This record gives sequence, C-alpha cells and structure tokens, in this order.
Amino acid sequence: MPSKGESAPKPRLEADQVLSVRGLSIAYSTRRGPVQAVRDVSFDLRKGETLAIIGESGSGKTTLAVSLIRLSPRTARITKGHILFRKDDDTIDVASLPDSDLREFRWSECAMVFQAALNSFNPVISIWEQFLDTARAHGMTDAKEVRARSGELLGLVNLDPERVLRAYPHELSGGMKQRVLIALSLLLKPSIIILDEPTTALDILTQRAIIDLLRKLREQLGFSMIFISHDLSLAAELADRVLTMYAGTVVERASVKDLFYRPRHPYSMGLLRAVPRVSGALGSVVSIAGSPPDLIHLPEGCTYNPRCPFVIDECKLKEPELVAVDTPQHDARCIRWKHVAELLGKEEAVVAEKMAAAT
Amino acid sequence: MSVAALARPTMRARISGPLASTLDFLRLLARKPLGLIGLIGVVFFVVLAFIVPFFVPYQDFVDVTAIYQPPSLAHPLGTDSSGRDVWNQIIHGGRDILTVGLIAGFFSTLIAVTFGSIAAVVGGKVDALISGAADFWLTIPHIPIIVLLGSILKFNSIFVIAGFLALLAWAGLLRQVRAQVLSLKERDYVEAARSLDLGLFHIIFKEILPNMRSYIVIHFILAMTSAIYGVAGLTILGLIPLSGQNWGLMLNFAYVRGALYFKDSLWYILSPVLAIVLFQLSLVWLVSALEDIFNPRLRSSG
Amino acid sequence: MTATTPADARLVTEVYRDSQYARGRRALVWMWDRPIARALTRALITVFLVTTLNFVLIRLMPGNAIDNYIAQIMNEQLLSYEDAAQQASGLFNLDLKKPIHEQYLTFLGDLVRGNLGHSMLSQGTTVASIIAAYLPWTLFTVGLGLLLSFSVGTFLGLIAAYRRNSPFDHIVSTFGSILSAIPNYITALVLVVILGTQLRLLPIAQMRGSSSPGIAPGFNLEYIADILFHAALPVAVYFLATVGHWLLSMKSATLATLEEDYVTAARARGLSDGRISTAYVGRNAVLPLVSQLAITAGLVVGGAFFIEVILVYPGIGLRLFKSIEQRDYTVMQGIVLLLTISVIVANIVADVLYARLDPRIGRAGGANG
Repeated sequence: MPSKGESAPKPRLEADQVLSVRGLSIAYSTRRGPVQAVRDVSFDLRKGETLAIIGESGSGKTTLAVSLIRLSPRTARITKGHILFRKDDDTIDVASLPDSDLREFRWSECAMVFQAALNSFNPVISIWEQFLDTARAHGMTDAKEVRARSGELLGLVNLDPERVLRAYPHELSGGMKQRVLIALSLLLKPSIIILDEPTTALDILTQRAIIDLLRKLREQLGFSMIFISHDLSLAAELADRVLTMYAGTVVERASVKDLFYRPRHPYSMGLLRAVPRVSGALGSVVSIAGSPPDLIHLPEGCTYNPRCPFVIDECKLKEPELVAVDTPQHDARCIRWKHVAELLGKEEAVVAEKMAAAT
Repeated sequence: MSVAALARPTMRARISGPLASTLDFLRLLARKPLGLIGLIGVVFFVVLAFIVPFFVPYQDFVDVTAIYQPPSLAHPLGTDSSGRDVWNQIIHGGRDILTVGLIAGFFSTLIAVTFGSIAAVVGGKVDALISGAADFWLTIPHIPIIVLLGSILKFNSIFVIAGFLALLAWAGLLRQVRAQVLSLKERDYVEAARSLDLGLFHIIFKEILPNMRSYIVIHFILAMTSAIYGVAGLTILGLIPLSGQNWGLMLNFAYVRGALYFKDSLWYILSPVLAIVLFQLSLVWLVSALEDIFNPRLRSSG
Repeated sequence: MTATTPADARLVTEVYRDSQYARGRRALVWMWDRPIARALTRALITVFLVTTLNFVLIRLMPGNAIDNYIAQIMNEQLLSYEDAAQQASGLFNLDLKKPIHEQYLTFLGDLVRGNLGHSMLSQGTTVASIIAAYLPWTLFTVGLGLLLSFSVGTFLGLIAAYRRNSPFDHIVSTFGSILSAIPNYITALVLVVILGTQLRLLPIAQMRGSSSPGIAPGFNLEYIADILFHAALPVAVYFLATVGHWLLSMKSATLATLEEDYVTAARARGLSDGRISTAYVGRNAVLPLVSQLAITAGLVVGGAFFIEVILVYPGIGLRLFKSIEQRDYTVMQGIVLLLTISVIVANIVADVLYARLDPRIGRAGGANG
C-alpha cells in the first residue's frame, strides 16, 4: 500500500505492533474558528494489549477514537501525523488511505463498539440482515458461512443465535444489543477493537457482565483493544496501559499500575481522586475545580494550569513536553511531576487514601 | 464576575426590552435571505391591501376602446375585458382576501390553542374527546365538507366565510399544541404553579402560553395560508357570493367568461395569480425562517 | 361480592376469568393491540360521524334540503303536504312519517347496504351509480399524481440532503418551497393559460373529459394511451402541487437520519455508500413520510374539487360542483360521504404499509411503538 505525497521513507511497524499513532492532530472548523480537538498525540498498541484512554468529556478522546478509522464528521480534518496499522506483513497509513481501501479496512482490520450501542443498529432491518450486510461489504457472500460464523460468535457472547438473528433491534434489551454489537465486531476477525464508552448506558450488573465477557473474549481470540472511558474503575480492570487526555493532548502515558498508584500528572491525580469508592470510606470524593478549557482559545502555557493545584508561574510560559518520569515506560507532561511524586510516594495504594493521609 | 455577567443582560433588557428583542429578531432573520424576502413580501402586501387603497381611488370606468391592453405607463398591468385598469383592481382586491385570512387564522389558532391546551392540561376523558375530534377532522376531506356546509347554510359575509375557513387548519395545530403543552407541563414552573393550586386558567394563560408565543405565531401564519387557499379557490369557482373587488373574483370572471382561453388576457389573468402566489410564498418563507429561528434544534439546518 | 380471604379472592378471579364478560373483554383487548383493528375501529367511527353530520344537515337543520324540497313541490305541483312528503321520502330514502330516531336508523341501514338514494334532478338514477361512474377517475388521477410526486420528491430530497448546501440542494429546495406554496388550482390555471392558450403546446379543449369520444373502453394500448392523455393535466397538477412538500420533508428527515448513530455505525462497518443510503438512511427517513401520505391523500382528494372543475375532468369533484350548482342534495351528500370513505381507506392502506415498513409497529410486543 504505497502512501502518496510522503518524501520521508515509509514507516514500518515491528512484528508485534498492531497500531502506532504518531504526532496526530485533528482540527474541526467551526464558525468561531478552528477547534484543536486532538493535538500531537502519539502512542503504540501491541498485539493482544489493551489500552485505556481516559479523560473528561471534551478531552478529545472520542474524536481520537473515531479518527483511527477516519470516521470523524466532515468538518474534522487530520492536520498532521500518521495512523499506522500493521496489515498482514505490511504497514498502512490510515491517515492517507484512499476511500475505497478505507472502506475495506474498516471493520475487517479495526472494528468499533460505540458509545451509543443502543442506537447502533438500524431499527428497520433484522439483526441477521445487519450481520449479512457487514459480511457482504467485505466479500463474504456465502450466506451459509456468514450464518455459521454469526451463530458461533453470538454463542460466544452467551446469546441464543436463533432468537437474536431473527429479532429486530427494538426487541432486544440494552445489554443484549451491546453483546450483539460485540459479536458483530468480531465477525471479520479484526486485529483491533475500539470500545467507546461501551458500558455507559447500561445498569451496573450488565456493565459487570460486559467487562467479564470482553476479558474472556480477549483471552480466547487475542485481539487488541482500545478502551475509551471516563469510568476509571472499568478502565483499571481491563487495561494494560492507560493514556490520560486533557485538552486534546496526552498528558500522561503509563502502565495501569503506575497510573493508578503513582500518577505523576496533577490531572490524572485529580481524576483518580474524583472516583467514588464502593469499599472503604477513606478519603472523600473531590471533583476537579473549574471546567475543561475552550479548545478554540487554549490557555497559555500548560493547558491545565488554570485548574492545577501545583501551578507555579513557569507553568504559564510554555506547554511542557511529555517527559519520562520514574521509569522509561511512564511519561507525563508536567514540569512539577516531582512534587506530585513527593506527595504521593511510591506505595501501591489508592490515590484517594494517600491524599487523605497527606492532608 | 458571574454576577456581573448575569446582571448585564437583565439591565439591558429592562431598559430596551421590546426594541432590543425586535432588533435581535431582525438580525437573526437577516441571516435567512428567504425569510427576509418573505417578511418584506408580507409587509408589502399588507400595505398594498390596507393602506394604498386610501391614496389610490377606486376606478371602474369602462373603456371599450382599450380592452385587454398590455402593460403601459398608464396601465402598469394592462387592462381587463372592459378596459379597466388591472393594477387598480389588484390594489383594491387584496383587502377581502387578507381580511378573511387574518380572521380565519385568528379563530383557527384560537380554537387550536384553547382546546389543545385544555386537552393537555386536563387530560383523561376530556383529552380523549378533544384529540378524537381532531383526529376525526384530520381524516376527512375538508374542502368538500365546507362546500357542502356552505351550500346548505349559505355564506353571506366575509366574517361567516372566515369562520368556516377557520375549520380548515385547527386540527393539525391542535394536536401540535397539545403535544407541546404536554411537554411544557412537565417543567418545573408549571409543577410549581400546580402545587400552589393556581387554577387551570392561570396555568394555561400565565405559565404555558407565554412559552408558546413563537409557536402560536407560526401556526397563525400557516392557518392564514390555508384559509387564503380556501377563500381564493372557492371564489374562483363562484361558490362564495362575494361582490366588489378581490383577486379571486378577478380569476372567477376570467374563468366564467372564458378569458382563460383568450390569448390577449394574459396580463389580466397573471396579475391576480401572481398576487396570490407571491403573498402565499411570502408567508411560507417567513414561516420556515421563523421555524429555523425559534427551534434551536433545527436552527443549524437549512 | 367482595373477596375477604385469599381463597375467596382466587374463587372470584376464576369465576371472573371464565365469565362471558371477561372473555369479551379479552377479545377486545386483543383486537385493540392489533393496529389494523384499531385503524378499522377508528375508520368506522369516522364514517359514522360523517354520516350523522350528513343526516343532521339534510334533515334537521332549519331550512334543510328536505323541508325546502317539500315546500317546493307543494308549490309547483299543488300537492298536499302528505303527498309531497311521500315523494320526498322516496327520493331521500327516508320515511318522513316515522319518528326522527327511526328515520335515522333506516338511513344508516340503507347506507350499510350501499343505498344512497336517488338523484333529485335526474329521477331514477341512483346516487350510487353516479358515484361509481365518477369516483374511479378521481382516484386514478390523484393516485397516479401522488405516486409520482412521492417517488420523485423523496428521491430528490434524499439527494439534496446528501449534497447539503450544494448548488443542487439550493436550486431544488428553493423550487420545492415555491411549488409547495402555490395553490393547486393556480397551478391548473397557469398550465391552461401558459401551455394551452399562450404557447398552444397542449390541445386543452381536446384534453377535457376522461377519454375521447369514439374510443371503446378495453384493455388495449389505444384506450390506455387515450386515458393517460386526458389524465395528463390533472396528474401534472397533483404532481406539481405535492412534489415540493415531499422533497422538503424528505430532505429534513434525511438530514436528521444522517445524524443517527446507526448510520455512523454502518459506515464504521465498511458498508458501501449505496447500501447505507438506501437501506439505512433512505428507508428510515421515508418512514414518517409514509404516514403523512394518508393525510396528504385526503387533502388532495379534497383539492381535486378545484382541479377537476378548472380542467373539466369528469371526476367526483366536477360532479360535486355540478350537484352544488343544481342544488342536488342527495348527490352532494352521497359524494361527500364517499370521498370521506375513500380518504379513510387511504389512511388504512397507509397504516398497513407503515406497519410493514417499520418492524417496531404491528409486531407482537411492539407496545412501545
């Protein structure tokens, strides 16, 4: 797949890498001016790995997720960067893929389970037709084969294929629809599945069931996942690594343990502190003061400085780089990370408890 | 700072409320070229029908030497089968049509708003009865029924005609008013009024209707367009015993006297046709711009 | 009897469950859950109300047609009131000597059997036969015109929505709003004046009537071509008068549907644009329009009154106009009744069609639909 208009040598991914996002920036054009929804985001995803992207709403995480299969609205434009996927033994750049190849690429390489799974199905055609549509769009024209594969997948997500395939979307409950969508996402054996807040609209027991199901499927089928959520406890259960996003950019990048026990960016710390804990009454829930920044007029310097409890004058001068903290696998975009580290220490204990102890 | 931000608009609104909101409205309308054209058209025809006749006396002198003349300086729209000035007839022929439209639109809106609100606020059997009546009226062909009613009951003044034509548009509006009120009813301030036991009339007229102003204006205009459709059509066929001057009657003469098939009569026929069409079009364009402005969910579209 | 112990309560429930009343009630509830049954019930109620309105207008209003008619023939033929009433009874299908409520019941009974009385002017002609001769032409032209405008309008609306703010969208939408604002009879007048009188492109006089004289009805090309030639103007008017409405409604419905999550999801699944625009966007966007089709059919059948008179097309509207001019009340009420029934039938057809297109309606368990 030659990528045109690039004078630089074609980037290649290593064998166990499935995705590498490099310097990705996305802007929306609006009447008020361009919105910098995603700014210079880079991360890698390995085979079988699960990456969680966390942040408040408006942090750009959903824009980032949909742009990975170039599904952003027409007003959005990738202004910079590469989205490199490993396909067979080749590397393709989704950011510059022609439309026909893009259609091929979607779902067969990278499927997506949406935030609003409840409305992800066409209400006027049966579930079976939607499976068949998807298969046909990718050259699987043998209905018997599609039927067998769909049956198998629906069995995997603990549904009765006979009943579900015949049903129309309105005849299924929210949890069932979410399972059907997960089954559908596996239809073409993609190497990556993006899950955008997959459990937000569901009750707590169904959320639990979906999370357990995803974990089981990942072990059986070995796909990679990108999990977008503002629910940190769910992210903690599924993810191997976590990205924290703020104002359209990555502010912290760490393994799940590092991020949850040893966050080094004040924003990650604030998010963790804002999680209500079911067990243990230690430490009160504290929400982050202020509101997310206006993406058209970003604050000078570090974008988090107006809300940051660690802010010093230097923070207002220029936006800090993402620098390695503690270990080389842990980066944070903060010049004050050592002060955060000082406050929280290195023990494996929940942030809220540490904070309660510190004050 | 938040206090100042809250206080500023209230102060301004208090000083120049109606003027400022009118200006705001016009500013919003200016972004919709078709809506602005519509507003200008409506104003033009209202002035033409109600004000210009005071300054341009009615002429009905017959001049058989100047039958069906094409437009000229003396006769901007030509002359009719008796040599009378068509432009003069257009000026004097709008009043009855517009009056019927206004009255019918008013009554239609009144029926719909009153009963639609009552249905939604009272609920239960009253609601079932009123909605049932609206559904019934929506499923039957209106024009033949009105014609039948008219042939038995006799139309004899433009007020009676307007009353009948008010029947054209109430049902659809009633259903929408009912739905709107049902959703408004759930809101806090109505709940509060109800818990204070302020009474049905207070709830409808003081709490709910002020929130539906834009809605009522839009439907008043729509009801007007259907009443004008009805009155012009029935006049053209000679089913309404209107006398004097009006656009429908001009076409009735053309139709009855076979001027439709007479080549020189083009200007005489096109003038009332254009008057009716342009007025209706102005109303429709104004309404769709108003819908865009008042309904923020749809504001981005179009 | 009131239940005092659980055992009593069970007994009462069981007795109740098998009572005739309960079975009847269950049957009613079952029927009420079928949309078709509901539509039929509503249709029956509507017909009943229109009939009653008719009866009241003709028989009970002061200065009503029957009293007028009796007074008229008493004067003209110097008859006694009884004899005149006798004649009127035959004509209007009413026994005027009976009490009003019995007259009303007989009137309803006759209607059920399709007996609408006789024409007041052409004695001996039944109203039913008059309607049978004229109604098909109206249904044919209105049906054809609406079918064309619905297909063309929704198609153009879909494209306009897809190419939103393109020159195509601006031109088509502006034309659509102009067309939908022009009263249909004005369109008819303008077609006659411009195409017929001014440009002489159409032989207006020859196009009158439902078919040319001398052509025998039959299922052959010549007859069908002739019928279409005569129907062309009314069909064109119905088309022009409604196409703008479909276009604009379809455009806004499509714009709303394009925002739906399932359309984004379909794109994410890599479906082709063709499949998405038909099965995903088009089919969902057109659904609300199908239910509007019924109401529009009612408006157009009503509006056919104007069109048929201006174009001299022998449908039910023209016949109604004639009966009004001639004060032929029996024909008038029969036609209005039949128009109502045909609009109601159109409604039921639309309901059935809608239930077929939208699985959320008309399937068991579709209580939320």
